[in-house]
Amino acid sequence: MKENTNLDNLLNPRSIAVIGATNTPGRVGRIIFEQLLGFKGHVYPVNIREKEVLGKKAYHNVYALPETVDLAVIAIGAESSVRVAKDCARKGIPKLIVVAGGFSEAGKKGCDLEDQLVSITRNFKTRILGPNTLGLFLPHNKLDTIFVDHGDRALGGGGKVAFISQSGSVGTEALGLASNTGFGMRAFVGLGNKCDLNELDFLSWFGKDEETNCLAFYIESLTQGRRFLEEALKVSLLKPVVVLKAGRSETGADAVSSHTGRLAGSDRVVGGAFHQFGIQRVFDDEELCDAAKTLSGLPPAAGNRVAILTPAGGYGVMGADHVEMPRGGIRLEMARLSEKTINRIRSRSFSFASCRNPVDLTASANDRMIGDALCAIIEDDMVDIVICTAFFSPPSITGRLVEVISSRIKSSEKPVIVFTQYGPFTDRYLRQFHQEGVVGFPSIGRAVRAARFLVERAEILHAIRTSS
Amino acid sequence: MNQQDRIQLNNMLIHGYPDEFETKAILSSFGIQVPRSIRLLPEEKLDLEAVTFPAVVKVCSSRILHKTDQGGVVLGVESGKIAETIDVFRKKFPNIPILVEEQIHFRGPELIVGAMVDPNFGLAVMVGMGGILTELYKDVSFRLAPLTFREAGRMIRELTIAPAFFGYRGLNCDPDHLAQIITSAADLAHRIGKSFSHLDINPLVFSNKGWIALDAKLILGRNQKNQDQTPGKNNSVN
Repeated sequence: MKENTNLDNLLNPRSIAVIGATNTPGRVGRIIFEQLLGFKGHVYPVNIREKEVLGKKAYHNVYALPETVDLAVIAIGAESSVRVAKDCARKGIPKLIVVAGGFSEAGKKGCDLEDQLVSITRNFKTRILGPNTLGLFLPHNKLDTIFVDHGDRALGGGGKVAFISQSGSVGTEALGLASNTGFGMRAFVGLGNKCDLNELDFLSWFGKDEETNCLAFYIESLTQGRRFLEEALKVSLLKPVVVLKAGRSETGADAVSSHTGRLAGSDRVVGGAFHQFGIQRVFDDEELCDAAKTLSGLPPAAGNRVAILTPAGGYGVMGADHVEMPRGGIRLEMARLSEKTINRIRSRSFSFASCRNPVDLTASANDRMIGDALCAIIEDDMVDIVICTAFFSPPSITGRLVEVISSRIKSSEKPVIVFTQYGPFTDRYLRQFHQEGVVGFPSIGRAVRAARFLVERAEILHAIRTSS
Repeated sequence: MNQQDRIQLNNMLIHGYPDEFETKAILSSFGIQVPRSIRLLPEEKLDLEAVTFPAVVKVCSSRILHKTDQGGVVLGVESGKIAETIDVFRKKFPNIPILVEEQIHFRGPELIVGAMVDPNFGLAVMVGMGGILTELYKDVSFRLAPLTFREAGRMIRELTIAPAFFGYRGLNCDPDHLAQIITSAADLAHRIGKSFSHLDINPLVFSNKGWIALDAKLILGRNQKNQDQTPGKNNSVN
């Protein structure tokens, strides 16, 4: 019985029951309930022993609830979870999150328990996220069931990236780190054991969601490989889909009997299939977050010509090296600036500045010079992507540089990526740029890699449009 | 593929594991060029008139591992030497058919085109640098089948050796024809259906007649209807 495919009541519920909500500090049920007190909607604690939880009237079971809630978060042990899940299904609660571990990841007995959850979804209209999941975090409606301490609380400001992770830890750690330098998150979804809802369901939902402009996945196993790819192709026409596929799946036993089988392993087929179906592939959590941040914040590049602006020659040289290094089949090249641009930069800076790409204004540069040079480069027709270095250590540079650069970037139709580095203050400046809507990274290598994501995105769009 | 070809293909698949001669006949029925070839059964006499010299003489059995390593391939055989070469083969590989093929002159890289079944995604095709060192180069790209002609073109352009198809050092190895072969290989694997396991066309080379398959191996899987000829351990690469 799987016609209940609408995830609105999971991701945008009007009311939630927390089963296992308790006053006892440190318990998962307490943490989740406490977090949901900020939720914009009704939240009901369900606990067989308590009359009140954190000042709210508690209900002994789901049947006693004053309404049929949209979502039940089941935060009790595995065996009890199965029993309660059945009650929830009977009561007609459309969506459940089963938090507990101890299911298929934990041997034979756990597998049996998980089978019982599966049979609930077959016999009722109820759909299940999990088990063994951290659940959800959607900043816009303060729906947060993540019970581990998560740095990504700093992502409460929200954004447009839907981050869907088979591993809860990878999700919270990666996003926690990304939040240091600014990351705009629409939603976090922990898939857990995927006994029912899986990556395909969320791909479809966030693919249609107008508040989402980029989807990022951490996946270890694709439940419906081919269908996921086909859906991803449809979604990628509208918005970028980035996937980190970790772990090599098993190849058939007879794979060793041919060159093709041995060369395939399993990984090269994944790579080829992702290319074919419009998915941008990444290989670690940092790259996943970088790609999502870039693709969510910047338009696809019109071409592959990169210009670099810097007050420090060495970073210009390194940047040029990164640009010209072929990587992942995406070729970038250093833009040739027009004479007009070169003269414009020179007239607004110094005779000793190097005004060819990479443009080095030297450590004597001030805020205005950088702003003027950035403007000139953005307006050059020979440039598709700009990497602008923001260094705060030169004596004539002030904190206003953030605003100077950001205002130029905001009015630019071309993608501009900021590279900034300032010792222990690096993250602070990156967050300031993020608040201004600017995409920035703390190394020249990551800034150039971001440029590659934008070129890859443009190539995907071109391939899809010319195929249909 | 016409009705007669389909019947022929079915017969070969039911018959058991296709040897090189049969595999090439299947390729040919899907529009992939192969050298002119004669399969001599044990005791059968060679009609010299039918052979284009110089010729390549090969042992022809799906059960022989690494035929090159075992001395089962001799190149550049002229008409004066053919009888002697066949005698040597018959002593060395008793009761095994022999393939006598026209020798193809080619330039540019030796390629591999293959197909296989991925456990997650299903049928996949591959193109890349071939020859006996193919697994060292690992210059290959994959796509899922079916695929468009345009997508096959993208596979080719992803390869490190891609410039060899587009004029590098005077090489102009028809990339469109190659893309066509990739889509044909996908089609072939798809038509065989459930019993398909692996296909290696290696090497595939560029001659004055265009791309041509010098060697090929087709491996069928467990779903095959007729199990008379058990696959055993004989499905390894030459």
